[in-house]
Amino acid sequence: MHRWIGQLLRRIMSMPPGCRVWMLCAGIFLVMALKAPNFLTPGNFANILKGAGTALPAAIGFGIVLLTAQLDLSVGSAMTMGGILVMGLAPQLGWAGALAVALAAGVLLGTVNGVLVAKAKINSFIVTLGAMLIVYNAMTIYSGGGTIPADQFGLSDWLQRPIVGAAYAPRPGDAGWATAWLTLWLTPRNLIVLAMLVLSAGVLRLTPLGRGFYLLGGNAQTAWYSGLRVDGYTIGAFVASAGLAAFGGALVAMSEASGSLEVGANYLMTIVAAVIIGGTSMEGGRGSVIGTAVALVALTALTNGLDCLGAGYEVTLMSSGLVLALVILYDAYWLHLKQKKKGQRKDLLAELDTRSTG
Amino acid sequence: MKITRVAAIAAAIAVAVTWGCNNNSNTGSTGDRKAALAQSLAVDVSGLKCSDGQPLIAMDNSPLDPPARPDDPKALPETDALRWYDMEYAGWKCEKANLPQSPADGAKGKSVWCLRHMDHPYTTAYVNGMKQVADAYGMKLKVMTAGNADVSIQSRQVDQAINARPDLVILLPVDAVAVTPMLRKLNQAGVPVIASNLLPVDAAMRYALTWSGPDDWGQFRMLAREFAKRMNYEGGYCIVRHMAGSSCFFSRTFSVVTELKKIAPKMKCLDMQTTMLNSDKTAPVVAGWLAKYGKELKGIVSADDSGAQIGINDACAKAGREDIIRVAAGNSKIGMDFIKAGTLHAITYQNAEADGALPMKLAADWFNGKTDFKNVYYLPKHVITAKDVDDYLPAPW
Repeated sequence: MHRWIGQLLRRIMSMPPGCRVWMLCAGIFLVMALKAPNFLTPGNFANILKGAGTALPAAIGFGIVLLTAQLDLSVGSAMTMGGILVMGLAPQLGWAGALAVALAAGVLLGTVNGVLVAKAKINSFIVTLGAMLIVYNAMTIYSGGGTIPADQFGLSDWLQRPIVGAAYAPRPGDAGWATAWLTLWLTPRNLIVLAMLVLSAGVLRLTPLGRGFYLLGGNAQTAWYSGLRVDGYTIGAFVASAGLAAFGGALVAMSEASGSLEVGANYLMTIVAAVIIGGTSMEGGRGSVIGTAVALVALTALTNGLDCLGAGYEVTLMSSGLVLALVILYDAYWLHLKQKKKGQRKDLLAELDTRSTG
Repeated sequence: MKITRVAAIAAAIAVAVTWGCNNNSNTGSTGDRKAALAQSLAVDVSGLKCSDGQPLIAMDNSPLDPPARPDDPKALPETDALRWYDMEYAGWKCEKANLPQSPADGAKGKSVWCLRHMDHPYTTAYVNGMKQVADAYGMKLKVMTAGNADVSIQSRQVDQAINARPDLVILLPVDAVAVTPMLRKLNQAGVPVIASNLLPVDAAMRYALTWSGPDDWGQFRMLAREFAKRMNYEGGYCIVRHMAGSSCFFSRTFSVVTELKKIAPKMKCLDMQTTMLNSDKTAPVVAGWLAKYGKELKGIVSADDSGAQIGINDACAKAGREDIIRVAAGNSKIGMDFIKAGTLHAITYQNAEADGALPMKLAADWFNGKTDFKNVYYLPKHVITAKDVDDYLPAPW
C-alpha cells in the first residue's frame, strides 16, 4: 500500500505543470462529491460553471499579458467598468450600443496601458496599478457610489436560462434528473464564455499571431531578432486583456441585471491565482488558457463545496490560498527536478546505478 | 485492480449524490403535520433575552403610513427628504409577487439558510440571536457569508440556495439595488425569503415575504435631533458614510442632512465621505477635514461606532479637537465605551441579537401558517447617551 502511494506521489510530482491543474480539479470534485451535501447535483454543477465563467474572460486576458512577461492589475477595474457602463448607458443606447461602448472603453484602456508599457517603457505593474485606481474611482463617480439596476429582466432571463430543458433542477429521481446534468448549464451566458475560451485557445495555439505572444514572453530579444513587432504585440496583449475584461464585466452585469462596483474589483486575486495555478509562468512564454479555465473551475468548485459544507468565509479564503501555495511549491520542486536532470544521460545513470548496486 | 478502483470511486460518487441531494424536511402524514404545528405553536420565545438584558424579540408596532410619493423623487434636491422616498419607505406599500404558500406544519426541523452580507462582530451577534430562536423552535440554521460584502459571492450563494432548496432563506442584502434580481430568482424558484438588516429598494421588496431590521432612517432622524441639540442648532459638520452601495450609505447620510435642514437650518454639511467603516481609512480623512475646515467644523456624524469611530476619535485626539461633537450608529462595545469615556456623545440603539432574532421568529410564524405579515418590521428606536448607557451593557458585540 505504502509502495503504491509512494509511486503515485512520485508520478504526480514528476508530471509537468500543465497536468497538475487537471489533477487538482479532479481531486477537488472527488473530495467535495464525497463530503459536501448538495455538491454533486446538476444545479450545483451549473452554478460552478457559471461562477467560473464570471471571471474567465478577464482571466484569459490576464493570461495573455502574463504570457508576454507583463502584468495587468487593472483587469478587475476593467470588469467593473464594463458592467457599470453597460448598465448606465443601456437606457439611452440600447443593449447593443451600451455593450459596444463598454467594449470600446476596454480597448481604449488597454491601448493606454500598452502604449505606456511598450513605448514609454514604464513598468507594467506601475502603469496598471495606476489604471486600476483611476478606472475604479471614475466608475464610482459615474455610478454615484451605488449599483445601477436594469430597467427590465428580459435579457438577464435569456442569458441565464438553459437553452433546452427546465430552468431549475428537478429533485433526485424525478423525471429529467439525468438530462438536467446535460442541459442545466447550457445557458447563453455559459456558451458565450465557452466560445471565447475556444476562440482564444485556438488563436494562441494554432495561429502565428498567437504563437508570437509565447515567443515574446519566452525571450523578447530573440522575438525582436525574429522580426516580431515587439511593441505591437505588447500593446495587443494589453488591449486583449482590458477588452476581454470589460466584455466579461458587461456580460455579468447584463445577466445579473445590475452593474455593481464590487463585481470585478474583488476578482483580481482569483484571476491571478487561476492563471498561475493553470500553468502560466510568471516569467512569460509558457501557459494555456484551457489550464486557466480548469483552474477557475477548480477554485470555484472548492469555494462552492466549502459553502455546501458550511465552512466560514475565512476557511474558504484560507483554502484558496493553500491551494495556490501548494501549486507554487510544486512548481518550484518541478523546476528543481528539471534543473537537476539537465544534461544528464539516462542510459549512463542507469548503468552507474547497476554497478553501484551490483 | 484498476476496474475495482474506478468502480469504488463511481459507487462513492453515487452514494454522495443520493445522500447529499435532499435536505428538505416537509414530509410526514397529515396527522404528524398537525401535531408538529401544535407543538410549534406552543413554543414561547417572548421570555428570551439579549446579552444586554433587553428582550430578544422586540419590534416597533407603529403603523406604516408613508407620505404621498412625489411624481419623480429623483428630480428633487438631495437635501429634500422626499428625494429619498423610494429608499426610506421601500416596500411599505409594495404589491407582493408570486409569494409561496405557507406549509402551516410547524417550524420544527425546518431548514433555514441565512445568507449574510459580511463577517463582522455585528453579524456574529446577529447569528447568535438567530440561533437562540432557531433552537427554541428546533429549526436547522445554516449560515453563509458573502465574503466582505461581495455582490458576486452573494449571487452565487443565492444560486446554491436555489439548488439546495432549504425551507426558507433569510437574506441580508449586500447591496440595496443588486439584491433585486437575487430575491426575484429565489421567488421564481419557489424558495420563500425574508430580507433582513439592510433595506433593499422598493423593487426588491415585492419578492420577499417580509423584511425586518433597524429603522435606519427613523433612528438617524432621532440621532440628528440629539446632534442638533448638542450643537446648539448651528455650526458645520461632516459625515463619515457607510459602505458605498449599501442602504445605510444613503440612510445614515441623508436622514441627517434632510432632518437638520428642517430643524437646524444654521447647521451646514461641509463634507461627506465613505471610509468603508475602516479605522485606518477614517483617521486620515477626518484629519484632513480638521485641517481644512478648522474651527468651522464642530461636529461629526459617523455611520459606525466601532471601526470608523476609532479613526474619528484618533484624528480628533491628535488634532487636539476633543470639542468636536460626535454621534454615531451603534451600539457596539467600542461605541458604548466611547460614550462612557465622553469621546462619543450619542449612538443609536440597534441590538444585533434582536436584529437576528426577529426574522427567525417571522420565519417560525410563517411555518406556523401566518400569512398576514406587515411588509416591514422595524426594531424599536432609541438613542443612547451617557445618561442611560449602563442600561445597555454588556454590549452584544
